[in-house]
Amino acid sequence: MKSLDDVLQGIDGALGDSVARLFELLRFPTVGTDPAYHGACRDAAVWLKRLLQDMGFETRMDETTGQPVIVAEYAPRGLPSHAPRILFYGHYDVQPPDPLDLWESPPFEPQLRKGADGEERIFARGACDDKGQLMTFLEASRAWLKARGGLPFRLTILLEGDEEGDSTHLDRYVAKNRTALKADVAFICDTGMWNAKTPAITTRLRGCIAEEIVISGPTKDLHSGYYGGAARNPIRVLTKILGELHDRNGRVTLKGFYDGVDPVPAATRRQWKALKFPAKKYLAGVGLSIPAGEKGYATYEQIWSRPTAEINGIYAGYTGAGSKTVLPAEAMAKLTFRLVGRQTPAQIRKGLREFIKARLPGDCRVRYKSEGGDSMAVTVAESSPWVRLAQRALKNEWGRDPVLMAEGASIPVVGTFKSLLKIDSLLVGFGLEDDSVHSPNEKYNLTSFRKGIRSWARIIAGLADQQERHKP
Amino acid sequence: MTDINNVLQLADTALDQSLGRLFDLVRIPSISTDPAYKADCRRAGGRIVADLSALGFSASLRDTPGHPMVVAHFAPKGGEGKVPHFLFYGHYDVQPPDPLDKWTTPPFEPEKRIGKDGVVRLYGRGTADDKGQLLTFIEAMRAWITATGTLPVEATILIEGEEESGSPSLIPFLKENKAELSCDAAFVCDTNMWDEKTPAITTRLRGMVKDEITITGPSVDLHSGAYGGPAANPIRILSKLLSKLHDKNGKVTIPGFYEGVSDLPRDVKAQWQKLKFSDKKFLKEVGLSVPAGEKGKGTLEQVWARPTAEVNGIWGGYTGAGTKTVIPSQAHAKLTFRLVGKQKPEKILKAFRAFAKAEVPKDCKIEFAAYGSGSPASEIAETSPLIRKSAQALKDEFGRGTALIGSGGSIPIVRYFKDILGMDSVLIGFGLNDDALHSPNEKYNLSSFHKGIRSWVRILAALAK
Repeated sequence: MKSLDDVLQGIDGALGDSVARLFELLRFPTVGTDPAYHGACRDAAVWLKRLLQDMGFETRMDETTGQPVIVAEYAPRGLPSHAPRILFYGHYDVQPPDPLDLWESPPFEPQLRKGADGEERIFARGACDDKGQLMTFLEASRAWLKARGGLPFRLTILLEGDEEGDSTHLDRYVAKNRTALKADVAFICDTGMWNAKTPAITTRLRGCIAEEIVISGPTKDLHSGYYGGAARNPIRVLTKILGELHDRNGRVTLKGFYDGVDPVPAATRRQWKALKFPAKKYLAGVGLSIPAGEKGYATYEQIWSRPTAEINGIYAGYTGAGSKTVLPAEAMAKLTFRLVGRQTPAQIRKGLREFIKARLPGDCRVRYKSEGGDSMAVTVAESSPWVRLAQRALKNEWGRDPVLMAEGASIPVVGTFKSLLKIDSLLVGFGLEDDSVHSPNEKYNLTSFRKGIRSWARIIAGLADQQERHKP
Repeated sequence: MTDINNVLQLADTALDQSLGRLFDLVRIPSISTDPAYKADCRRAGGRIVADLSALGFSASLRDTPGHPMVVAHFAPKGGEGKVPHFLFYGHYDVQPPDPLDKWTTPPFEPEKRIGKDGVVRLYGRGTADDKGQLLTFIEAMRAWITATGTLPVEATILIEGEEESGSPSLIPFLKENKAELSCDAAFVCDTNMWDEKTPAITTRLRGMVKDEITITGPSVDLHSGAYGGPAANPIRILSKLLSKLHDKNGKVTIPGFYEGVSDLPRDVKAQWQKLKFSDKKFLKEVGLSVPAGEKGKGTLEQVWARPTAEVNGIWGGYTGAGTKTVIPSQAHAKLTFRLVGKQKPEKILKAFRAFAKAEVPKDCKIEFAAYGSGSPASEIAETSPLIRKSAQALKDEFGRGTALIGSGGSIPIVRYFKDILGMDSVLIGFGLNDDALHSPNEKYNLSSFHKGIRSWVRILAALAK
């Protein structure tokens, strides 16, 4: 095994330049969801294209139904036929910076500030999500190319600008470019570490589907005095339905809901248990103390391995100041379901419709609106060679075994790659829980950035070693 | 004795002017529940004072901690002490007009439209509730004064501006002005006819008490991916709580809720049966077909003689377009309870709150914000001479016997007049079931307005006898 010192020293020695490049990228206000910033998104895409070109990649900017994507190809002659093909994914768009007045420094003027704890942090919108994270991989590739002249794999880099908005733009793009994006595995840098000292590989993600339901009863709003008692109140119908969505043990009562929900393998459960998930702290941090999910499951199991039915919004009748004695004509609720295992969006929707139908009075009606962006749950086998390789590399860099983590939230692109490209994703990221992603004063620790670059360099080295071993 | 026909004729010929005055009043958006319309409430009260003063009333706008009251007196020349003295009550405030996009014409730009059925209707918020109704007696008095220079009875008019927001200033005002406002009886014009051809006097009114609940779970809005499962969701807690308010037979499950509720007396039941009320038609008119109230009770009984627990508004979390994966920190609901018999508002509120608290997990919080102290139900003796005289006057106008009915709505004033001023109330109104009170496209039939004015002309004469 060849020493990696040359690459790592190159990374540390040029860290200032890496930070400068990240700052350049952070200065583009790439709020993809706001048309006012679409020019900035395009400018950032052009900047990224040039950056990748300068690194020696064959690069193009492709239009999509949303923001443009940047695709960079690296396929040098001379790579052995068994060299893997890797698809690296990141996104250059960011969340809106509001509320602006809560930022200590302007969101698109990045600043490196040293905290009282001695840790240096990069403050800016996108510092972590996902500009800082995606740059860890690009800077590692740059250092490797500089020290060694060539990467030990074929590489396609895909950078999109709609991650924070409508994920269907990228879905359409991937569907149309399956051949060009074909790879053995996707590397994604958009997740977190277990804590500031312990790296993590995310191997489980819950899926998500969204449904809006509107129950309508009377043809118009009624006076609750003249009609109250005899006339159906859609709020009562809706709350009855929602009130019965869970049994008293917190289990979802839709028929067939738990089909395809597999028990967590014993080995994984042991691992999770050993993590000593700080359930109390986790709930206390948001003002709660009683785990509200399914009885019989630990807090972390409720987030990582159990499906949910949540009501994200409800609205009906009079909601202004004072009171209004009205029986409204309709009542609306927005629901999302987090999916695990092999649960399918169709199965959940069918269960929901049957459930509501059975509870809907004969003279009421229901309308459904399925929001786009369905995603199924994703589980990457922990025995996968990619996971093994990343585990070794991360351990070497951080001096600690990485945690194989699950994530309650969804990363729809992982599902897209799985369903359209038939590939698994390796989710390695260096974000921390206190990075204020999507909030004011987003930051990325300089340690996350530096050791993130070094971690990817070690993963690249692992791939190089593999090839050495496979040499005929 | 003046020929009543002269007065009626005058009311007929002056109908357009009466209508103009109604439209002027409807144009003022006097929404009492919303502080943004405070000045408009005052303006509406002021307009009525000016009108009554011009008629020869001694009228004034009286300040209260909330919206002002209109008080006006008219003593017939030489009639003081010789003719009976009645109080006439109405309210100049209106319900909020939301949802605005459902109105065919703007709520505060009244319009007269002829329907395909040839019926002329007056559209606008308050055309029926209660601006149109209160003007029926004011315009009838105008006709009397114009035709004869005086009224056949002594009249005190009280028009309040807080009826739609629970009348918070009314009790202290009645107490402070007890001597000035006490009369032989009160007439309240805020109720409906039985149908468009049959006049009615309402003898039973449900009471009401309101509550608002806020459930707080997490201290901030949470990402439903990162927290969904273990984090308590206030919308779920609220839905669960509300879903338990009724059993499968539609009965309210709050312990002690039915204390003081008695079964309907047999004779009243028999009289109501004679009204040949069609449950089916009543529901069909509003797009429904399945009676939703307590099983085993007819629709009339459900609306007139049974208490309810209703949710009037609910909100929490993200309600805009698309989706937001949030577990909100709070969820809210507004409720009203309609009361009958001897149910006590404060007891109902207390029982509901105990019931609600028991449904909330220990790490969540529930808060309550009541609006006013509520009012118990009222019943008026159907044998009272005032009711008999009024019923006859209405029969003379409409050519049909007057129905003595109940009303599901609450008119707390009736209870206050009895308790504070010691007088009975006679509830006569000309609204119809399809008037869309509190809803978009509120209307008042022109015939309700016209025959309403004519009815009061007759009632005023009958009362003097």
